[in-house]
Amino acid sequence: MISVQQLTKRFGEQVAVDGITFEIPAGQIVGFLGPNGAGKSTTLKMLTGMLAPTSGTATICGHDLQSDTLEVKRHVGFVPESGAVFESLTGLEYLEMVAALYAIPEAAARARIEQFIAFFDLSFSTLTDKLLGAYSKGMRRKVVITSALLHNPPVVFFDEPLDGLDANAAVGFKALIQTLAREGKTIVYSSHILDVVERVCDRVLIIDKGRLLLDGKPETLVAESGAGTLERLFTQLTGGTELERRAEDFARTFRP
Amino acid sequence: MTTDASAPAAVSPDRALHRLFLTLFLRGRSSRGLRRNNMPRSVASKLLLTLLAYGCFGCFALAFVQRPVFEISIYLHGMTLLFCGMFIAASSGEILFNKEEADILLHRPVTPQALLRAKLTVLLQVSLWIAGAFNLAGMVAGVLSPNGNALYPLAHALSTVLEAVFCAGGVVLAYELCLRSFGREKLEGIMTTVQVLVAVGTVVAGQLVPRVIGRATFQRGSIGIHPWWFDLLPPAWFAGLDDAITGNGGIRAMTLAVIGVACTSLVAWLALGRMARHYETGMQLLGETTSAVPASQLASRRWLDALVHSPLLSWWLRNPVRRAAFVLVASYLVRDRDVKLRVYPGLAPLLVMPIAFMMPVSQHGADPFGGFGVAFCGAYMGMIPLFALSLLQYSQQWQAGDVFRAAPIPGPALLCAGARQAVTCFITIPLMVFFTAVVYFLRHTSAELPLLLPGLIALPAFTLAPHLGGKAIPFSKAGEEARSARRGLDLFGVILVSISLSLVAIWAWSMGWFHWFLLSEIAVVGVIYTLMRVSLTRAPWPSME
Repeated sequence: MISVQQLTKRFGEQVAVDGITFEIPAGQIVGFLGPNGAGKSTTLKMLTGMLAPTSGTATICGHDLQSDTLEVKRHVGFVPESGAVFESLTGLEYLEMVAALYAIPEAAARARIEQFIAFFDLSFSTLTDKLLGAYSKGMRRKVVITSALLHNPPVVFFDEPLDGLDANAAVGFKALIQTLAREGKTIVYSSHILDVVERVCDRVLIIDKGRLLLDGKPETLVAESGAGTLERLFTQLTGGTELERRAEDFARTFRP
Repeated sequence: MTTDASAPAAVSPDRALHRLFLTLFLRGRSSRGLRRNNMPRSVASKLLLTLLAYGCFGCFALAFVQRPVFEISIYLHGMTLLFCGMFIAASSGEILFNKEEADILLHRPVTPQALLRAKLTVLLQVSLWIAGAFNLAGMVAGVLSPNGNALYPLAHALSTVLEAVFCAGGVVLAYELCLRSFGREKLEGIMTTVQVLVAVGTVVAGQLVPRVIGRATFQRGSIGIHPWWFDLLPPAWFAGLDDAITGNGGIRAMTLAVIGVACTSLVAWLALGRMARHYETGMQLLGETTSAVPASQLASRRWLDALVHSPLLSWWLRNPVRRAAFVLVASYLVRDRDVKLRVYPGLAPLLVMPIAFMMPVSQHGADPFGGFGVAFCGAYMGMIPLFALSLLQYSQQWQAGDVFRAAPIPGPALLCAGARQAVTCFITIPLMVFFTAVVYFLRHTSAELPLLLPGLIALPAFTLAPHLGGKAIPFSKAGEEARSARRGLDLFGVILVSISLSLVAIWAWSMGWFHWFLLSEIAVVGVIYTLMRVSLTRAPWPSME
């Protein structure tokens, strides 16, 4: 479903993504992990057609990222970390605008939106009467997730999707993506919340400084490394050594 | 809730994008968190009022009914170019390159060309509303003109549409050329600078060019005897088109019309066709995130650091809160796109007005205002920090201003003082030098330079004014609030004070009492300044309601 070969992105002298290669089949939930500045968001932006790669190739659902970008965009949904929306539109206006960009007929779009409203416990009047600028962060996130799934894409990229969601919505969302994967959708899930990734994902990719460090099933990787948890494995791999001791030392500097 | 089965099929992506950008333009792009519980508001009444104002202003054209068609058209096209240019220059940066938009739209199946087309159509549409409202009365004047006829409204409508296309295409082309010439790494800084320069240039040209055109047109007579450089000005091309269609003007009108149509076609073809791929580059730039700091920003950081640690400023900024506020304001004045686009174009009209007052109206160099222009120039200097500080209270990152309130500072006085110091350093002193040079070069004498003093003496009081009552804390209000009509009223009030001060100064100058006037002014301003400082020092944090 997703095939990435030697994908590289440079910003001037800086190498943000350095020749990463992986394959993701249909129906898999893949956790995409890495510390800040590792190149996760840049990779996701390349795979969604937002950024042109410097070199390397990628195909999504058989469509080449560089030569068939529009077709790739039709087949992916993306929830960006920023959770940006046009705040001067109402939720319904925003979702209908997104539906139009995917050429979804108005009636079908409305029906799909109503399904999401029910799932996320949103009220229809909020969606029609309030500008998105007046929504809470969690409500705005729900609208962004809806807008990513509205066109029923076979591949969905989530960049920190739980940010702002309350506990109930987060539980519902995790169940949603597991069901979507069972229905055959490919999910790429980028997050810093490692215990969620460990529970939800079939497989994890860990990158640091633009390079792919590890690729495998979370339980296998944890067992093979002897780290005990994915969190410990992650900190070992990405240079976060002796974090607890350093934190204790630092906290002691605040003694009166 | 039921689904309406009879609803129409999918809205085309092009139409959806056009509707989106028009809605965003009419409603404004809100700052996050500002619009709690806001319902969508109709902007129809506000828009109608704006268009009505343009329409009323356009009625001045009726004063030219006795003039030939070409002269009426020159006036109308000159002003239309100014209004559309100002609107497009002010809106294009936000509409064409919006950072958050990249995350929302770039992963959708729409091409950058479709985005550009939709945005340009909205810019054109609104420009034409403005142009239509302004030119309505002018069309009547053209019909009633001695060589006008019933064809004039049609001709003028056509030339106005072409002019709007030329104007919008020109601005987009300027961005595309920057992208092509400077590359994506330097784009952000260059784009901001270009936008600031376009906006300042439009405002300055808007004040000065009509005077120049006025002198050339209304004093020389018909089209045949205008100077050669006149043909280089776009309003002349489109006025030539009006003249040619209505059957006046002969070969020169035809030539101007051909130049106008050719230039507009060329600009539109370049902007939407040949150079459009560079827009894609700019859009992708918005999606790029890199931790590398551009060399220009590093240089400005080092330069600011060195300045703050220079002996004079170290002493002047010895209070740490003042120094922090100084660095904050100085950084934003140099780096922040939103602040630069608000402050510098906002100050541009203040720079032009005194110069316009000092420019000789007739070609023989006679100055009907006498030394008033110089005194007015001095008084205007006081308005510069006043308006800069008023504009600096707005920012897209206004919510970050909470950090000031959280700090153990009893009130905003020290922060405001740091902001005043930054404005004095980076805006007021450079412009004082500029104004003094302008006065010297335009008047060819240093004898009238003392007339600048009354304004300079009043400057400290003007500078404190925005902060009275603990107001205008730097970057504490949302950018959207900067559009308040209250600022227009403030401007009017301060202009009245400046004019009064200038009139009294010029009267004292002519009576030979200028020295006494200066001494009295120093005493009065000293008292006012002290009272204002005391009031400001005691001011608490303003309510957050």
